[in-house]
Amino acid sequence: MESWQHVQVHICRILGIQLIFLVGFGFCMSSSFVSCEVGRCTSNVGSTNQSLNIPPYFEKYITKSYFDKYDSLLDSDFLDFISHELFPGSCELLLDNLNLVLRLSVQQRSLIGDGSHRHLSSSFRFNIQSELIAELPIHFCEAIIIEKLPYGIFADPFELQHLLQRGVFMDAAVFGDTNLELPSVHSNRSLVEVHMDVDLNTFSRHKDGLEINIDLPLHIRYPPLEESGYSSIELGAPDLFMRCSIEAKSHNQSCLLMLKDNGVALGNGPVVWRVPSGIKAHARAVSIVTFISAILSTLSIVLTSVYYSSTKLCKNLKQS
Amino acid sequence: MDVRSLLLFSALLRVLLIIYGEWQDAHMEVRYTDVDYLVFSDAASLVASGKSPYQRSTYRYSPLLAFLLVPNSIIHPSWGKFLFSASDLLVGLFIHTILELRKVPENLCACALMVWLFNPFTFSIGTRGNCEPIVCAMILWIIICLMNGKVLQAAFWYGLVVHFRIYPIIYSIPIILVLDPHCFRYGLKPALSSWVGQGNSTQSIPSTAVPDSCGIWIALTSMFTRARILFGLISGAVFFAFTGLFFYLYRWEFLHEALLYHLTRTDPRHNFSIYFYHIYLHYEHEFSVVERLISFLPQFLVQLVLIICFAQDLPFCFFAQTVAFVAFNKVITAQYFVWFFCLLPLILPWSNMKLKWTGLSCILLWMGTQTHWLTWGYLLEFKGKNVFLELWIASILFLAANTFVLIKIIRYHTYSPLFQRLEFSSSDNDLREGKKSI
Repeated sequence: MESWQHVQVHICRILGIQLIFLVGFGFCMSSSFVSCEVGRCTSNVGSTNQSLNIPPYFEKYITKSYFDKYDSLLDSDFLDFISHELFPGSCELLLDNLNLVLRLSVQQRSLIGDGSHRHLSSSFRFNIQSELIAELPIHFCEAIIIEKLPYGIFADPFELQHLLQRGVFMDAAVFGDTNLELPSVHSNRSLVEVHMDVDLNTFSRHKDGLEINIDLPLHIRYPPLEESGYSSIELGAPDLFMRCSIEAKSHNQSCLLMLKDNGVALGNGPVVWRVPSGIKAHARAVSIVTFISAILSTLSIVLTSVYYSSTKLCKNLKQS
Repeated sequence: MDVRSLLLFSALLRVLLIIYGEWQDAHMEVRYTDVDYLVFSDAASLVASGKSPYQRSTYRYSPLLAFLLVPNSIIHPSWGKFLFSASDLLVGLFIHTILELRKVPENLCACALMVWLFNPFTFSIGTRGNCEPIVCAMILWIIICLMNGKVLQAAFWYGLVVHFRIYPIIYSIPIILVLDPHCFRYGLKPALSSWVGQGNSTQSIPSTAVPDSCGIWIALTSMFTRARILFGLISGAVFFAFTGLFFYLYRWEFLHEALLYHLTRTDPRHNFSIYFYHIYLHYEHEFSVVERLISFLPQFLVQLVLIICFAQDLPFCFFAQTVAFVAFNKVITAQYFVWFFCLLPLILPWSNMKLKWTGLSCILLWMGTQTHWLTWGYLLEFKGKNVFLELWIASILFLAANTFVLIKIIRYHTYSPLFQRLEFSSSDNDLREGKKSI
């Protein structure tokens, strides 16, 4: 028994020494940490280009520079950003050719699942003129899908990272308000940028054209209070881009093309997420009953404690 | 079954669960691993690459935890789970040590130990990657240090555990009170009151007995004993030293995420607390100081009364305080239950409650109201039904169940102060019950 006690003491001493060691180790590791400015950090999945001088279309994530410039996501600001900052002049000839070659024909979107955690399933089909595409000096292409999430809906960047590790997407990042815990009232919008690998040469042999399918897990924040008890949130259409690496004389160059819907309507109407919300009419009754319950519980415990501790005290005094 | 076999079997069970957890994470959509474990691991990998753990959003713990999990990136991602499960087993060892010191019969020790080791909630929490077993182990170690008269050690670990997890601050006053000069002398091992059979209280008179009017001044001045002063100073110094160190390293981000967030936390999302719906319905406007005070008052009052009534019976006081603290908190998540589960085996040998049918009714009521709440929670979160009102009523019922169970435990508990009253002669050299401690 004594040796067992010594073992116990020994274990505890080792734990204490290890704890001190780890603190010192952590101190050394932290001596060159990267500071993170509160409020400006986004939980991007994957590394991002730190240089501010590189044009947005060259950056890994084309929408990152929007959030470098603006604090929150506004549709008007984002449209300006797309129009004025995303498209370089030097790729005009290629982009005009790509526009002729690639046309969006169908897009379908639906929300799969129930409750606060669902999947946004999107499907896009493009017609391809295969005889023209072979003439273009394209090295590699990727489809970039930008989902501008409305207030109240968010994507979990760590969940997306898990999907990346499983190879579901080529790349993905979340920008904007990535605080997963705040209700809609105190949160801002966010944006998801998803990259999918596209091999135009392979798809050019398909008669049906190029199809891209994305299944994006989304979550809902607590919505503002509603009299009806439900809140409806509409998910707008995504922005679609194709970024291709082309072979130029001296170096490879990236060109970005925005794929317009050409007036193609969504296959099955707008996507609406119906969310349960608190009812303002409950507020007064809930507050009153909550505090009465707390008071009653408090009184029960207090009275029991006082009664039984004084009973035990008297019993002890009698026994002694 | 002897204690060694129990611990070995428990260790094997936990290893198998960790291995199964890895398989489930890799092959099934629903993970076995707790989301919090991924947060800790990400923070640890940030620390391993020389960055701040607070770059990981929702990491709201001491950097110490991230340091402890650095081997996740170096050795294996399951390192943390093994560490937490080892702490879980250490809790079992400490439970046995405490009961043995109080001369509880071996069969009762084993039964009490099984309540912790084979509680499904307990063994799943460590194997899923939750860090609470580390906190539980530290708290039990503090009790052991006090029982062995090692005030400085107890103070060190107490300062550390409050830095690690703020809630143990509620134990500060009972610890100070239990270092009663009538029972505890600095530098000497205190005499522990032993288990004398269920239904029988110890001979010791609690030293919280009210002094006569002439001795109030003496009572007040005698409150400031060497043991109490040293405990307060050392634990405070340790807390501020660790806090200061990490503030130097990580600045306001550390202070906000690891400390201030927990002190001011109100979560409008559904949880077991009765306050969640009230908070959600009023989230659009800030709560006034009066509203915050009113919601804090029940918690404050219950803690105060429990301390005054039961401080000398330290394990029981800790248990009752923790149950009440969790029940009246503004946010309650399932991981908080382990805070009092680790203390339950320490009070069971002193309980007269029979399993049939009082004990069973407490267990069924507590689990039943929890299951009831979870049903409505499932309908809200996974089926999108507006059941806020029903869910809130379920949380009220859960509070009622917690209150009922706590009242029953108090009712059937045999009050047993931790330390025996010392008998002094006129000279300090003639202590009859004291033993030298290291």
